Amino acid sequence: MKKMLPKIAASLAVCSILAGASVAADVIKIGVQAPITGSYASEGQSIDNGVKLIVEQYNAKGGILGKKIEVVTCDDQGAAQQAAICAKKLVNEGVKAVIGSYTSGATEAAQTTYHRAGVLQTSDGTSDSLIAHKYWTFFRNSFPNSAEAEYTAKYFVDGKQYKKIVILSDYSSYSTDLADATVKALKAKNANIIYEGKIKSGSQNFTATLTKIKSMDPDVIYFSGYYTDGGLLRAQQIQLGIKADFVGGDSNDNPDYMKLAGDSAKGTLLINVPTPDILPYDIAKTFLVDYKAKFNMAPASIWSLMNVDGLRAILHVMEQSKSDDTKVIAEGLHALKDFPGITGPVTFREDGERIGGGYMTYEVQADKSYKIVYQ
Amino acid sequence: MDIFLQQMVNGLTIGSLYALVALGYTMVYGVMRLINFAHGDLVAFSAFIGLSVYAQIFGESITSLVAVITVFVFTAAIVAFVGVLLERLAYRPLRTAPRLSAVVSALGAGLVIQNSVMLIWGPNMKIFPSNLFPSTIWEIGGIVITFTQVMILGVSSVLMVGLYFFIHQTKIGTAIRAVAIDQDAAKLMGINVNRIIMIIFIIGSALGAVAGLFIGTYYRGITFDMGWMYGLNAFVAAIMGGIGNIPGAMLGGLLLGLFNAMITGYISTQWAETFTFVLLIGILVLRPTGILGETVAEKV
Amino acid sequence: MMNKTSLIAIALLVFMGFFPLFVDSAWLAVGTTFLVFAVVALSQDIILGRAGVFHMGHAVFFGLGAYTTAILNVNFGLPILATWAPAVLIPMLVAFIMVAPIIHLRGDYLLVATIGFNIIFIQVLENDVFGLTGGPNGLFGIDVVRLFGYDFSSQTHMYYMAFILLGLTLLIMRNLDKSKFGRAMFYIHKDEIAAQSMGINVRYFKLYAFILGAGIAGAAGSMFSVQYSAVSPEAFNVTQSIMFFTIVLVGGSASLPGVLIGTFIMFVLPEMFREFETARYLVFGIAMILTMILRPRGIWPVRFGNIPDFLKKGVK
Repeated sequence: MKKMLPKIAASLAVCSILAGASVAADVIKIGVQAPITGSYASEGQSIDNGVKLIVEQYNAKGGILGKKIEVVTCDDQGAAQQAAICAKKLVNEGVKAVIGSYTSGATEAAQTTYHRAGVLQTSDGTSDSLIAHKYWTFFRNSFPNSAEAEYTAKYFVDGKQYKKIVILSDYSSYSTDLADATVKALKAKNANIIYEGKIKSGSQNFTATLTKIKSMDPDVIYFSGYYTDGGLLRAQQIQLGIKADFVGGDSNDNPDYMKLAGDSAKGTLLINVPTPDILPYDIAKTFLVDYKAKFNMAPASIWSLMNVDGLRAILHVMEQSKSDDTKVIAEGLHALKDFPGITGPVTFREDGERIGGGYMTYEVQADKSYKIVYQ
Repeated sequence: MDIFLQQMVNGLTIGSLYALVALGYTMVYGVMRLINFAHGDLVAFSAFIGLSVYAQIFGESITSLVAVITVFVFTAAIVAFVGVLLERLAYRPLRTAPRLSAVVSALGAGLVIQNSVMLIWGPNMKIFPSNLFPSTIWEIGGIVITFTQVMILGVSSVLMVGLYFFIHQTKIGTAIRAVAIDQDAAKLMGINVNRIIMIIFIIGSALGAVAGLFIGTYYRGITFDMGWMYGLNAFVAAIMGGIGNIPGAMLGGLLLGLFNAMITGYISTQWAETFTFVLLIGILVLRPTGILGETVAEKV
Repeated sequence: MMNKTSLIAIALLVFMGFFPLFVDSAWLAVGTTFLVFAVVALSQDIILGRAGVFHMGHAVFFGLGAYTTAILNVNFGLPILATWAPAVLIPMLVAFIMVAPIIHLRGDYLLVATIGFNIIFIQVLENDVFGLTGGPNGLFGIDVVRLFGYDFSSQTHMYYMAFILLGLTLLIMRNLDKSKFGRAMFYIHKDEIAAQSMGINVRYFKLYAFILGAGIAGAAGSMFSVQYSAVSPEAFNVTQSIMFFTIVLVGGSASLPGVLIGTFIMFVLPEMFREFETARYLVFGIAMILTMILRPRGIWPVRFGNIPDFLKKGVK
């Protein structure tokens, strides 16, 4: 027992030092919850970079409400359980608001924890289920799947007049949700869906599923999942000689899609909101220049810019209301009307939905550039 | 019918990759009674090594038969060296330790390899150049087969047949079999057991390297953590065929590839893994030594 | 006369009991996780360390407990307290059904079979069977423990609940060692065939160990789901099982302090070394290899010689 005592004393000392250290100087903490590693690392890092850039710009002007802003990043790896752990961690760190995550699943897993703690959360997750809880703490900074599904159905039926449609998704909440919404929108237009299937994200080998699809001789294969699988699906589709069009949902719009699909990328149709480089707004142009100057590359996609807009709106309301009380900020965000964002005017509905959304279809050219084919 | 044949081609392609990896597991197990959990990560490591070798020597633009062969040979040599190193550092000191200690060491080695890959090449997916093999596609009676698939099937068949004859016709092969049956007796017969184990690791790792390179050329996208999935499937294949049994691993790999393709193509994508493991557990319960494994009395 | 192990156990309990007074809520959360995982590791040790069964699928039982609580609470609105009993009993039942047919398998085969069960378990969760499990994202918004109008939702409450669970587990393990089961385990572990010829029903006792271990892991799982108010499949995958497996062997199988040290090393140290985020698992791997080479029986191996305590009693 004697031997143990000094050890216990030592451990206690260490613990109290640790406890002391975390009562930090007077700062306002902003959390980033994003997939810094894992399959969606390029998106997650882009969100983190974007947030850090904005915060740096604020701090250079002397911070906010007389305090410096500090960014606390937690890597959720795009996985739900890790997201729940991150949520606990960020709440315990005492953040006022959390930016992210990139995937709907990771966002949804963390929602309850933020809501209970009264921490604001803004995410680009597009699943319709994200606003189903009507949490006052949640603000979506992108546009919902149902809006994209409506557009897709219109394009397929009125634009392309596809007769035999195949819908593929993975198991993630976002992809399933987008596929379900698209099927619903297509059925409302009496379209003929010949196959609805699922692939296992990351399994690389999709030939068995594609071979089955080949026997059905479809006009179009629509994939509602992420670029990491989409690129491979497209490559294997061309390899197997399936003649159908390949249409990818918004999450296929990523430079890695082009690399994965290689030469097969040509002719792919991608549905998304406008890409960062064609955003018409001045703030967008300035932001992109600053981003490139600091990180020496372009943001991974429009999604990180959506998250940056979420952050900008929160900081804007904080300044206007001169309060860091999350209840007050939430009220301010709901009252916001056409706040000038990088990705267009920002207005939130009562349930946290962002209003608006203009979709476009791009056709990938041989040199991997985009051509707008439908609006 | 042509859909069925197409599924067979798909299944055999992935199956021969499993078989190449399974050989590494089965040979190590046969000789050392050790599940080499690091083997799958070694396969992933090979894909990244291959990518760098290619970029270093040929700068991503030149493709020729010579270039491809050089990449394969270089990569196999490097990975074989790492495999031998792995055995020396992580397994040899534990040869007399409790069996599970070696298993933990193998798990640790897997972590080391996987995270080294992540630190060296980064956490993001890396993309293999698409021009390593020509993108020729043949269509025979409705069945599509690519150049890469032909290469995978051809090269792995040659390697497997070669290995079979090596094990059964050469002096070293006989020594390997002797060590697998009884290490102590083999030692008494004048066989250098350490050397045999080194040879096992060279062959197993090199075959894994070939599989890793094919995974890269066939699927293009490689990630630092992909080794686990291929390792697990290959390991299951090795057990199905009868672990420790070399033709068993080949058979197990091909059968598993076919089985997966048929389940995915005709029954369910969602439950494919469940089918695989129900089959595995079924085999273990009914015939614990696998399809080709001999029933031996348990050593006491 | 108390032995050294009991002293250490008591000292540890006292320390852990006062731990919340000295730390902020971030470290309290780490402490809670440590307690929950320590319970799981101890239950894994009953199966792996004490019964000597090569078991690499313990996350199944941990996950079953977590999902039982989550499903009953989120889908059927039961209060958390009412889910505790099922969260223990269901893993026990599943352990029996799952393991009974394969318990006779030899070491490595059993190891592979348990990995197989874990993979099947994950697929069942991901496929949202009967719409209960919430698919790959799992279930969110799990309630907090409520009793007589109070809600025990603070991190301190969570911590002490986990603390009580660990205390109960230690108590069970203590009684276990002294029981008929403990003695049978000892012989089976030393020499299975000799034990069998002495008339010990090896199958029965191994199965007993599995069911007991599953129940305790289930209780820990239930606590885990409340702690994070979310459960999802990847928290219970084979990688997790490998973690629990490694904890026991790195710490020292069948050794109480060993398993706790193992848990500390595998779960608390990574939290402390967050700054070295990217390299930490590399260091971990190297540490695993070195530990096994330098201390093949674990950091704190169980120290009874060939004569166990229960036989020495009369001699003294």
